Amino acid sequence: MLINSKNQIPASEITPESVYLSRRKFIGQSSTAVLVGAAATPAIALPSGWVEEQGYSEGEPIGEKITPEDIATRYNNFYEFGTGKEDPSKKAHVLTTDPWSIEVAGEVAKPGKMQIEDVLKGIDLEERIYRLRCVEAWSMVVPWVGFPVKKVLDKFEPLGSAKYVKFTTLYRPKEMPGIRSIFSSVEFPYVEGLRLDEANHPLAIFAVGMYGKILPNQNGAPFRLVVPWKYGFKSIKSIVKIELTKREPRTTWNRSAPHEYGFYANVNPEVDHPRWSQARERRLPTTIFGGTIATRMFNGYDEVASLYEGMDLKRNY
Amino acid sequence: MSPAAPSRTGPRLSWLSTSLAKWSVGILLAIPLMLILNDVRIEFVQPGSGLGPDPGEALVERLGVWSIRMLYLTLLVSSVARVFKLPILVQHRRTVGLWAFSYVVLHLAAYFSALAGFDINTVFADFTKRPYIIVGLLALFLLLPLAVTSTRGWQRRLGLNWKRLHRVVYVAATLALIHLWMQEKASFMDTAIYGTILLLLFVERVVDFSRKIQRRVRKGTP
Ligand code: HEM
Repeated sequence: MLINSKNQIPASEITPESVYLSRRKFIGQSSTAVLVGAAATPAIALPSGWVEEQGYSEGEPIGEKITPEDIATRYNNFYEFGTGKEDPSKKAHVLTTDPWSIEVAGEVAKPGKMQIEDVLKGIDLEERIYRLRCVEAWSMVVPWVGFPVKKVLDKFEPLGSAKYVKFTTLYRPKEMPGIRSIFSSVEFPYVEGLRLDEANHPLAIFAVGMYGKILPNQNGAPFRLVVPWKYGFKSIKSIVKIELTKREPRTTWNRSAPHEYGFYANVNPEVDHPRWSQARERRLPTTIFGGTIATRMFNGYDEVASLYEGMDLKRNY
Repeated sequence: MSPAAPSRTGPRLSWLSTSLAKWSVGILLAIPLMLILNDVRIEFVQPGSGLGPDPGEALVERLGVWSIRMLYLTLLVSSVARVFKLPILVQHRRTVGLWAFSYVVLHLAAYFSALAGFDINTVFADFTKRPYIIVGLLALFLLLPLAVTSTRGWQRRLGLNWKRLHRVVYVAATLALIHLWMQEKASFMDTAIYGTILLLLFVERVVDFSRKIQRRVRKGTP
């Protein structure tokens, strides 16, 4: 079940579930220095075969062609690794994703820092085949593996005062050359946010995998947000902090160019980016004269419309 | 400092004025285009392998990058000719300039076909609403009369005005930089690089101009 023709994972790297589950115990005992053999098995938070081992409910096909895996994993934006579309896949391999902890703070009854494996404990994985519409007018169809954002938020018990959720990406200049660039005009760490009711919508998920495997570093390993009705930049990658707030958080792109990127950033063919039209999109991969397809309101996810009832979406772009 | 005397520098590198040299320069400057066209060919044979998953955008970008490089190279020819006292080089400026113009035209053609998909509504909206595209178009329109009047015949016909007219290239070069700068999203590296190059080209001209003024002043007061 682990066989993948492209990315053959050496069997030695795959931690059997039993070993994985008792890993905490191993760590506890390793001080006895007797477990030399066991020490050869690296303690990995989310080992490469983790998603396959956990299993997940298969995603419903959406009647649109899924973007080939090697395109979704080699052509994307993750400015911490550079502004070129191929920079992330070329440079993100040095990112250390283990250990990985996520801090939850702000308006919650149970704030604290948790190892990722503890955050994921008891949560069933589901595949979601979603359209991904980038603000740059291209799009893909990606099979994510994850679970509703709400499932994690509820673990920390948001208070009644919580109105927004603020997410923060890892900030580690040593491993992220894009952060070190002196020409960068965006501020790091990368921050994104949602209204709490948006985050609680069943379509909003945290992803830990794609294409049936754990996320590659360049796609936001080990833990990222996916909000399919908003432009891609809202779906923040490699999250280390989740904060519930009373006020709307200042998000990275909104700070960098407020007239171009709003807080909401809902996919909307009627509201142009000041520098280009959002009416149409190039579905990747496309051919050289492949043309474009019409962009749909909320990226085709009409079920979220009720979240914005009574709002002027031309002003709240 | 005396003006570069052709009698001294003339014979030096005189092979540069042979027609073989002219053809070589022309072919050299066509190499980037050949490589791009080859990738377009590969793209047709096997989509995705020549220009990547977003070939339209890649094509426009690559032609755009070579447009600005060729345009600045045109300005560099005059600078190098002055700084290294090699007026012979100026004979090749027209070839470089015409290639610069050709890359810009192809850049526009690629936008029209591969990015806009010949969709008149998209093109109309872009040409009226997108400042960076309007700036690019302005640069292109300023280059057009320069390309047309680049021949010997026009040079003779226009006399001193030819030089005046062709100073418009500085406006086009600046607009090209603005066109690039207006597109930057997260990194100002390209603007910084091309901006520095353009700045150096301008500095050389200011230095040259002030030298000429000084010389004229000295001649005027013996
Ligand atoms: C002297 C004239 C021009 C020069 C030197 C020039 C140069 C450039 C350069 C350097 C880029 C950036 C490529 C990159 O992303 O690295 C660019 C992009 C672009 N140019 Fe031009 N350009 C010129 C005229 C035009 C004109 C007339 C149009 C008309 C439509 C145009 C449309 C575009 C578009 C749409 C892009 C963005 C491509 C993309 O990334 O999506 N340009 N140009």
